[in-house]
Amino acid sequence: MQDEEYYRSIGFMCGLELHQRLAVPRKLFCDCPTNIIPASGRSTASITRRQRAIAGELGTVDVSAGFEAQRGRAFIYNVAEGRSCLVEIDEEPPHRINAEAMGTVLAFAKALSMRIVDEIQPMRKGVVDGSDPSAFQRTAMVAFDGHIIVDGNRVDIPSIFLEEESCRAEATHGREITYNVEMLGVPLVEIDTSPYIRTPKEAKDIALYIGTMMRISGMVQRGIGSVRQDVNVSIRGGARVEIKGLQEIEYLDAYIDTEVKRQQELLKIRDELVARKASVGKATDLTSALKGTKVGLISSHAGKGGKALGFRLAGFSGMLGREVAPRRRLGTEISDYAKSAGVGGLIHSDEDLKGYGFSDGDIDRISKKLSLKDGDSFIIIAGGAESSRKAAGFAIERAKYALVGVPPETRGVIGDGTGTTRFLRPLPGGSRMYPETDARPIAVTKKMLSDAESSAPDIKAEEQKLVGQLKDRSLAWRVMLSPRLQTYTSIVQSAKDPTFVAHVLLQKLTELRRAGFSVDGIGDGRLTELFEAYDNGKITKQAVDEILKVLSKRDQDVSSVIEQNKLERISGIPLKELVDEARKKTDNKDQIKKEIMSKHRLNVDGSELNSYLV
Amino acid sequence: MYSDEIAGFLKKHGIKTGDHIRVEYSGVTIEGELMPKTEVGSPDTLTVKLKSGYNVGVAFEGATVTKIAESEGPVAFPTAKLGEDKGLPKVSLIITGGTIVNKIDYKTGGVHPVITPEELLYDVPELSKIARISIRNPFSMASEDISYREWGVIANEVASELNGGARGAVVAMGTDTMHYASAALGFMLQGLNAPVVVTGAQRSSDRGSSDAFMNLICSAHIAAKSDIAEVGICMHRSSSDDECQFIRGTKARKMHSTRRDAFRPVNDSAIAYVKADGRIRYGSQHRKMSGKSKASAMTKFESKVALVTAYPNSDPELIDFYVRRGYRGIIIEGTGMGHVPVLPSNVDRSWMDYIAQAIKKGVVVGMTTQTLYGRVNTNVYSNLRKISELGVVYCEDMLPETAYVKLGWLLGNYSPKKAGEMLNKNIVGEISQRTELGEFLV
Repeated sequence: MQDEEYYRSIGFMCGLELHQRLAVPRKLFCDCPTNIIPASGRSTASITRRQRAIAGELGTVDVSAGFEAQRGRAFIYNVAEGRSCLVEIDEEPPHRINAEAMGTVLAFAKALSMRIVDEIQPMRKGVVDGSDPSAFQRTAMVAFDGHIIVDGNRVDIPSIFLEEESCRAEATHGREITYNVEMLGVPLVEIDTSPYIRTPKEAKDIALYIGTMMRISGMVQRGIGSVRQDVNVSIRGGARVEIKGLQEIEYLDAYIDTEVKRQQELLKIRDELVARKASVGKATDLTSALKGTKVGLISSHAGKGGKALGFRLAGFSGMLGREVAPRRRLGTEISDYAKSAGVGGLIHSDEDLKGYGFSDGDIDRISKKLSLKDGDSFIIIAGGAESSRKAAGFAIERAKYALVGVPPETRGVIGDGTGTTRFLRPLPGGSRMYPETDARPIAVTKKMLSDAESSAPDIKAEEQKLVGQLKDRSLAWRVMLSPRLQTYTSIVQSAKDPTFVAHVLLQKLTELRRAGFSVDGIGDGRLTELFEAYDNGKITKQAVDEILKVLSKRDQDVSSVIEQNKLERISGIPLKELVDEARKKTDNKDQIKKEIMSKHRLNVDGSELNSYLV
Repeated sequence: MYSDEIAGFLKKHGIKTGDHIRVEYSGVTIEGELMPKTEVGSPDTLTVKLKSGYNVGVAFEGATVTKIAESEGPVAFPTAKLGEDKGLPKVSLIITGGTIVNKIDYKTGGVHPVITPEELLYDVPELSKIARISIRNPFSMASEDISYREWGVIANEVASELNGGARGAVVAMGTDTMHYASAALGFMLQGLNAPVVVTGAQRSSDRGSSDAFMNLICSAHIAAKSDIAEVGICMHRSSSDDECQFIRGTKARKMHSTRRDAFRPVNDSAIAYVKADGRIRYGSQHRKMSGKSKASAMTKFESKVALVTAYPNSDPELIDFYVRRGYRGIIIEGTGMGHVPVLPSNVDRSWMDYIAQAIKKGVVVGMTTQTLYGRVNTNVYSNLRKISELGVVYCEDMLPETAYVKLGWLLGNYSPKKAGEMLNKNIVGEISQRTELGEFLV
């Protein structure tokens, strides 16, 4: 990755929006539980809704909202009994706002040196993708004008919000999206940074710092999906692109860097297309021209009243196949727009057309219908009559933007580890936001402020505490930055050897996970039992590994794992007896040790054994 | 409302709602538009809409407030061009207020009624493909405030629109008392030979998820295409946005305070089910449109009719109160098959003498059941026989609210004797002689 000077030279702009679920027992605006293990609930009901774009404050439908509405999609919400009530599914007004969640966000605001507003006004923020059955998200700005110091640099924190978690998408079939509403309404804090982050690495450091601040409070949820970063990135000449829902902080810088390169590539393509005086044609019906084609993607729709539409891309030759990000070409970018209308994808002329099954005759007829010339490309979209028409419209718009540069977009991450993203929808032109008239504004009292002050998480104090326990500043920081900080804190309340606990949590569990054991499901309670057993001399250090392996496969109490797997420590007289027994065969200490350890590796502590051999 | 201190300051400095202001206090500065204060907010903080769209409340005390720019003025609601497809039937949309026709001012959260077809068609463009819609707006009121006077106004509007060439009418109103209104329209409209569809919304149309859109579309389909010559309520059949049901106006009841499928048929099944794409499937028997006839409205209504509930420990002097106030009719929501306390241990709490006195004074007393579902009966228990022998009219399977509306309408238009006779005879489907197994909790 490049240095700060490089990013300044390309006009790099970057800001973060960090979202973190709060660890409070009830949802933000109703009394449903928040301790939901995603995907564990059986749905007991399913409802179908349709949403439409509503004219916003400026009297027009927002570009993003209009785009979603045009897609004419149906949203299916799966509702599980005991997890969601009428409030989530837009059948009952919100209840009182969760005061505990509010208190947590106020404490974070204090930790970020922010100015808390005097009256907090819940708002409705328009949501266009169906992820909220009410078509808006409830959100409130709690404080503003804060800052943090990371690596000696000041980073402004202009705002912090308390808001509702949205639904989890379960499946997409054509124009139907299925959501699970169980997580909807879980209290979420959003912390925004200013857009002046200087490098991708700094973005990652800031995210880690704020994440740590929240985790040391002990007031945030852990586990998959509990934390997400949205990243806004642009470069000079490019456009603001929002990458949504990054869950793994590890790759934050990689995603930003890939986006920078993507914008640079799109600008190069733009320059070349402009130089070539390229242009984009109108959608033309190729259904009859391609009647009888052997191309499966087209013929499969032909019998069902479907259509094949094509358009000319004058002067685009070779450009659709140009890579803009790892395994992403300009053609892929355009294809994502088409797919959002519910078609499977598109075919473009920079691809291997013969491989698709196009005959020379097919290609001749396409060329004729679209009046193709040398240096031109074309795109074909097949699907149902309605979806292919919409898809062609979207694809043409995107293709035209190739002549402008970088379209402002909301993009989603592709979880393939390459840092790549794909188009989700156009970037909303300023959120449609208006007061949530069903919920009262909250006047911030002196008591709320003093409670916030006293419960504000303090990174310095936490660091001192950890250094005191671990006697090792570097290990202390590793623990503090680790997602297992809360587990560590709860275990060391009773554990005798904090360093061993830190070692197991940071290193051992990571090793086991890499070796394929699903250790993330092991609960704090079990880990506490495990360290208690160790502290009480019931097991050896070596047995800890074994027990973790067993627990990763099946949840059961640690004492029965020890018993069933014969992991009890052999210590004191029984160990002496083993030594005596072995001495009958040999006097060689190493031989004795080898003999005992080969049989009882997991049950005998090496240093105790050594003490009997002296 | 802002406190007198803030209001005075704003007035003195010529600052109005919507103006761009700067607020400086304890070392920070914020800028944004001044918002009006809702009745629920603290009167001592200024509500400012920031550029991000968020509203925040900032303390006025100790703050320096300056105006930096004038308000851009109110936002005009967007409109759509009215389609004039002569091939489509004419449907009259009578707007009387309520959630369904309210639009929100996205800046302030204030609510305004839609009064032009162009505004409505912007939000629900499908309507112009179903019918040529003309809009009437006789009044805009919350449904809890609507009285028999407004029912009469609506009935007259419907009659005059139908006689003026509309194929059907859609009445948009608040939902809380919609089933009273639909029952009233059923009795008031005479010679009805067209669908009259009452509809509303449980979620306001500022949200993309509002039920208003599908309810309006389905109502327009019923009004434009169905063969039904009755008054009914057309709202969501379930929590899903896939189908509405058209329920006879005298057999409908709001059975949930907030759900979009709150309106249910009671002791009846829906007359028709309608999809948003216009497919209509008929359910129960209904009166069909036939030939030509002129609609008229009999809008007289006796407002001195009461609806009272009998319950354990209830004080029957309530009956006496109404009699002394000159009431001419009382509908009792009895327990079970139509009971009131007859022989309670506290003998003062027996309703018997009070009812007898009322009837003696010429008050028409009708009996319905608070179970809503099922039919009252005069024979099964001796107490039922005793109550009915006082001259109480047992109203079969009629809903208490419908019986209340019907008695008011009867006493407005007929003699008490005739009203008493007609109360438990079916006129517009409010009483059915048979109750089917499938008509419970649907």
